[in-house]
Amino acid sequence: MASKEDILSKIKANKPDFIELPDMDFSVFDDRKPILEEFIKKVELAGGSIFEVVSIDDVLDKVSSLFPDAKQNYAALNNSEHFNTLNLENVKQAQDLERLDVLVLESDLGVAENGAVWIDDKQLPLRVLPFITKHLVFVLEKNKVVGFMHEAYQKLNLPETGFGVFISGPSKTADIEQSLVLGAHGALSLTVLLV
Amino acid sequence: MNHPKLADLFNEDEKRVDWHDKALWFVRHKRDLSVHQVQGWETLRNYGRAIKAHTLSNLDAYLEEFESNALENGVQVHWAVNAEEHNEIVHKILDEHKAKKVVKSKSMLTEECHLNPFLESKGIEVIDTDLGERIVQLAKEPPSHIVLPAIHKDRHEVDALFQEHLGTEPCDGNPQYLTNEARKHLREKFIEADAAITGVNFAIAETGEFVVCTNEGNADMGAHLAPVHIACMGVEKIIPKREHLGVFLRLLARSATGQPITTYSSHFKKPREGAKMHIVIVDNGRSEQLGRPDFRASLHCIRCGACMNTCPIYRRSGGHSYNATIPGPIGSILSPGKDLTKHSDLPFASTLCGSCSDVCPVKIDIHTQLYKWRQIITKEVKQPFVKKQSMKLMGKLFANPKQFKISGKIARFALKNLPKKIINAKPNVWGKSRDLPTGQKKSFDDWYKNRQKHGE
Ligand code: SF4
Repeated sequence: MASKEDILSKIKANKPDFIELPDMDFSVFDDRKPILEEFIKKVELAGGSIFEVVSIDDVLDKVSSLFPDAKQNYAALNNSEHFNTLNLENVKQAQDLERLDVLVLESDLGVAENGAVWIDDKQLPLRVLPFITKHLVFVLEKNKVVGFMHEAYQKLNLPETGFGVFISGPSKTADIEQSLVLGAHGALSLTVLLV
Repeated sequence: MNHPKLADLFNEDEKRVDWHDKALWFVRHKRDLSVHQVQGWETLRNYGRAIKAHTLSNLDAYLEEFESNALENGVQVHWAVNAEEHNEIVHKILDEHKAKKVVKSKSMLTEECHLNPFLESKGIEVIDTDLGERIVQLAKEPPSHIVLPAIHKDRHEVDALFQEHLGTEPCDGNPQYLTNEARKHLREKFIEADAAITGVNFAIAETGEFVVCTNEGNADMGAHLAPVHIACMGVEKIIPKREHLGVFLRLLARSATGQPITTYSSHFKKPREGAKMHIVIVDNGRSEQLGRPDFRASLHCIRCGACMNTCPIYRRSGGHSYNATIPGPIGSILSPGKDLTKHSDLPFASTLCGSCSDVCPVKIDIHTQLYKWRQIITKEVKQPFVKKQSMKLMGKLFANPKQFKISGKIARFALKNLPKKIINAKPNVWGKSRDLPTGQKKSFDDWYKNRQKHGE
C-alpha cells in the first residue's frame, strides 16, 4: 500500500495541468471503400482464406471438404454433434486439447480495415481453444462486418465479457531474418466462412 | 563501453551492417505503404497524441480507476516503486503458487527490471516464448530491438543455436523448419508451465481490462493454460476508455511492421474459472520523467519500434550499441532520465534528422528532446567526457562530404555551435562508403522554429 501512495503522490505532484480529451470526429476516416471487398482483401493479406457459403447448414460440409484429413474436430455451433469428435466435458488438462485439428467458432463481428474477427467468452467454450487448435474456422454473417476499429468498439459493449480477442489471420512470425513463417504458436491456418 | 565504441564493433562486419540496415529500412518501407492506405492518418496520430497527453495530465486518477475496476473483475493489483520491488512482487506471487516453471511473453518492462536473472537466482525457470526473444535468450544476449528482438542475428546463427540447445538437424538456416522446431519445443513449455508472465500494451481505466498484442499467439498460449497469469505494466500504459483502443490499435501495428493489426489483440478482463490473474503496476522512474516538461511526452510511447527502423544511426550501429534496455531514438531520450552520466553518450547518437519524430504514431518530438538532452548534458556532465563523446560521433558523421551537403542546415548549425576540432575530425566508420538518408526538411524546420520560439 505504501508504494501505491508513494507512486500516486509523485504523479500528482509531477503531472502537467489538466488537458482535455480531444473531440474526435471519426467521419474523417471514412474512405468509402466497399466494406465486404475490403474485408476479404484484408483477411487474405493477413494470411487467411475466405469463402462464401450459402447457409449456416452448409458450413460443416464446407469445413469437412477443406480439411478432409482432420481427425479431431470441434464446432461450437448448433447441430454439430455429428461433426464433433472432441467432448469438452472430458477435457481435464491441456494435453487433451493438443491434438485438436479443426475448431469452428461463430463470430458476430468482423473489421474490414484489418480483416480481424472478434471472439469472446460468450462464444468460446474454453479460452485456449482458438490458439491451441491447428486450424481455426470462423463463421460470420456478412452484415456483421464493420469498416473500422472505432466502429467495432461502438458495437462491443459487453460489460460481462471476461476475455475477448481480435484475430487477424493465422499465427505468424518473421523473427528469423525477417522471413514470414505462418504458424508460430497459435493456429497454422485461419479460414473465414461468410454466410 | 560507450555508443561510438560499440558501434565501431558492430561495424567491423560490413556485410552484417548492410544487411541490418536494409532489413530495417524494408520494415520502415512496409510501414509507409500501410499508413498511406489510411485515410486521415495524420488526424489519427493527432488523436493518439492528444489522448496520451490528456491521460498523463490525469494519470493518478486513471490509475486508481483502473485498479478499482480490476479488483472488481477479480484481478489482484500490486504497485511497485522500482525494479527491485517489481521483481520481489512477481517472485512472491510465484512462490505462493509454488511455481517453478514460468513462460513469459514479450515485455520490455521485465527486461528493464532484469526480472529473468532475478527469478533464475531463486531457482525458477523462465522461458521467453516470443521466437525472437527465445533466440536471444538462448544466445544469452538482450534483445536488440523492441519489436524484432533478434534482428541482429542471421539465419545461420539461429540454426547453430537451435542445434546446440534444441537438438535440431542442420538445415542451412531454413526459417520454416527452425520456426516449426521452436513451436514444438515451446509447446512443451506452455503445457508444463506453472505460471505465465505477459506485458501489457494498453490498460483501460474505464473497464480494468488490459490488451496484449502479439503475432505469434504466445501471450495467449501462456496465459490461458497456466494456473496463474501475471501482467506487468508501467504506469504510462493507461488509456481512459475502451473506445480509445479504436485509435491505438489502428496506429500500433501499422507503425511497427506495416500490418493493419497484429494477429492477436487480446483483451484480458477477468481470470478464467479456477485461475488467478495479477497485475503489477510499476513506476521505476516514470513519475520523475512526468515531472520534466521537456521530456514528459516520451511517456506517450506505445513501443512500436518505428523510430528505430527509420533511424540512420540505429540501422548502422545495431541495438546493442546503445547499451540500454530500450535502444534507438526513444531509448536515447528515456535512458538519460534514468541515469544521466551512464547514458550521456546516447543523445549524441543521432543526426537530428527528425525522421523518428515524423514516423512516431503518437507524435513524440523525439529529435527535439534529443537536442534538449544534449544541452543539459553539456551543462551537467563533466566536460571532457561530453566533448569526447560528441566529437567522436559528430566527427564521424560530418566527415563524409556527401552527408555534409545533405544535412546542410544541421551542418551549418553544427559549424556555429560545435568546437572546430569536431568538425575537422578524421573520417571514420560512418564515413566509409555510406550515405545517410536525406535529412527531412519539414521536421528540421519545425524543430528550428520551436527552438526560436523558446528563445534558445
Ligand atoms: S517513440 Fe514513437 S516511434 Fe518510437 S517506439 Fe515509441 S511510439 Fe514508436
